[in-house]
Amino acid sequence: MVARLTGEVDLSNADGIESAIAEATPSHAVALVLDVSDVDYLDSAGIHLVYRLREKLRARGQSLRLVIPADSPANDALRLAGVPQAVNTAQTLDAALAEFAPRGAPAPDASPAEASSREPTRPEVPGPGAV
Amino acid sequence: MILVKLEGVPDNPYPHPPRAGQVVLTPVGPELAPSEQVQILYRLSDPALSELGLDEFLDELLLRVREALSVDTVAILLYDEPTNQLVARAARGIEEEVERGVRLPLGQGFAGRIAAERVPIFIADVDHADILNPILREKGIRSLLGVPMIVEGQLIGVLHVGALHPRDFDQRDLAVLQVAAARAAPGIERARLYSALEREHRVAMVLQRSLLPKRLVDVVGVKTAARYLPASDDVGGDWYDVFELARGRLGVAIGDVVGHGVRAAALMGQLRTALHAYAMQDYGPARTLELVDRYVQAMPDYAMATAAYAVLEPDTGEVQIASAGHLPPVVVAKGGARVMDISPSAPLGAFSYGRVQEQELILSPGEILVLYTDGLVERPGTPLTTSMEKLAAVVSDARSVDELCRLAVERMLPSGSLRDDVAIVAIQNTDIADVLDLRLPADPKILVEIRHLLRRWLRHHGANDAETLEITLAVSEACTNAIEHAYSPAPAEFTLSASADNGRFTFTISDTGRWRPPQGQDRGRGLTIIRAAMDDVDVNTSDTGTEIVMHRRIEP
Repeated sequence: MVARLTGEVDLSNADGIESAIAEATPSHAVALVLDVSDVDYLDSAGIHLVYRLREKLRARGQSLRLVIPADSPANDALRLAGVPQAVNTAQTLDAALAEFAPRGAPAPDASPAEASSREPTRPEVPGPGAV
Repeated sequence: MILVKLEGVPDNPYPHPPRAGQVVLTPVGPELAPSEQVQILYRLSDPALSELGLDEFLDELLLRVREALSVDTVAILLYDEPTNQLVARAARGIEEEVERGVRLPLGQGFAGRIAAERVPIFIADVDHADILNPILREKGIRSLLGVPMIVEGQLIGVLHVGALHPRDFDQRDLAVLQVAAARAAPGIERARLYSALEREHRVAMVLQRSLLPKRLVDVVGVKTAARYLPASDDVGGDWYDVFELARGRLGVAIGDVVGHGVRAAALMGQLRTALHAYAMQDYGPARTLELVDRYVQAMPDYAMATAAYAVLEPDTGEVQIASAGHLPPVVVAKGGARVMDISPSAPLGAFSYGRVQEQELILSPGEILVLYTDGLVERPGTPLTTSMEKLAAVVSDARSVDELCRLAVERMLPSGSLRDDVAIVAIQNTDIADVLDLRLPADPKILVEIRHLLRRWLRHHGANDAETLEITLAVSEACTNAIEHAYSPAPAEFTLSASADNGRFTFTISDTGRWRPPQGQDRGRGLTIIRAAMDDVDVNTSDTGTEIVMHRRIEP
């Protein structure tokens, strides 16, 4: 299951985004890949969101992968907050999905989260920052 | 004093109880009018009167009544059913009655009793009579004669005449007055029916009003103003809209549905909603208008409209704009104003699957983009381009959006009633101040706007991308803290000030709340980020609130 965020994440929408993603993640999904590559702004409220989401998923036996390129605005917030490695992160979505691929199989097609469908489930969370 | 004695009628045949000074008369049929009155009666029923508008007709009729009866005053009071009152409508000699909008209760006084009991009444001497209207006494009127005006059994009002000297009125006078009342009543009734149409006009008006934005969005760093002026005799289909889009951008739309009346107003509401909805999906101006066009094409009834839609990126001043047959916008820059050279695409609903062109312009700080509808510039006998150039000229000195709207309305529109409705909407990318000094609502929604303004301000002062990003993050975190502290029941505010001195920035964020200790490790990150992004940070907490002062030097 992949959730791709766009726009800006701050105090005004972090709670809403968190519940939207948590609700959209089906219980049969093994993991959630949260892609913040295209997020223009993310601050401590966004970091807080990631941690709470990780806890929520962990309670359901699911894991969280964060896609966060080194040169992304979101990564700057993590860097300044001094928490670069606290969550399992990947530089690209493909890399994140590849972690779920069975040995020898090409990624990302064989991702368990996408087992039931050829098309990846990508609930595009509407416009954080968004306003 | 009974003036009219009718043969075969007992002395006091009337069911109406006597009141001080009032004499109830028995109506006289016109057939009883003496033959010498024919001339007067003809003057009152002159067909030429029918060609006048109601106001002129009533004025002329009253003049002729005054002449025919040699009286000093004549007045018509109309029955206002909702309030059960008589309202002065036209007068000669006692114009004050109309000017002051005299209203009299039914059933009391002189006119009130004529209306309630539908009988003519004569008052020989006002000083000894039961009258309510103070103007009658003020004017020194001594004698009065009044008759009810009735059409098809319905009370329309009261017509009365007065004399400044005590005098008698005889049967002939009464007949004349009754003819005049009979002549005036149907015209008034017609006017009433017409006012039922006016009610429909009012419905359309309310509809139109309710479909326009109640208030314009407030985006920090962008000023907006709009005006809507209805046409005098009908509602048009003009609309405007201003809304916030993702990433702090601003959408501005204007449109004009072809046609008038309730249908045009309703259609306008649909198109405005459709455009707004597509715009919120971030389709951009050209695609948004294309989709609205499809929407119009799919309507069961033929509909056509023009519209323009622009998206402003306040950070850079970039404007994407598209026009579906709409008049070109005017851009007010520091050196003067110009009509934008825009190539409009076909109007909405004109051709199937029409393509809409998109154009770009830069709205530099201080510059104003003006969208308007044709009612502002269309004048019979004047080429449209001339009118648009005139518009550009009259608004060229406008320094603010409000001033611009005022100038456009004052200098472009004729005084008095408008033939077509007019909509104007203006947006200004405000000048970047050297020093920011903002008082802001403690609402998380304001954060995104603060960041956009701050990015512009930082860039203006020479910060590079990496510095802009870090400083914006730190200031936004500090503002987040201020907003989170502001847990007072009243609408809370906080202040943000920023100044630059030789590459060294100072930011101060003050709130009136308590600095709450960070809740858990996660929430402590805000301050961590602030400290990491800034050179130094001071957090001062006092009884009155918390103030964060931080500095950051940028690379030269």
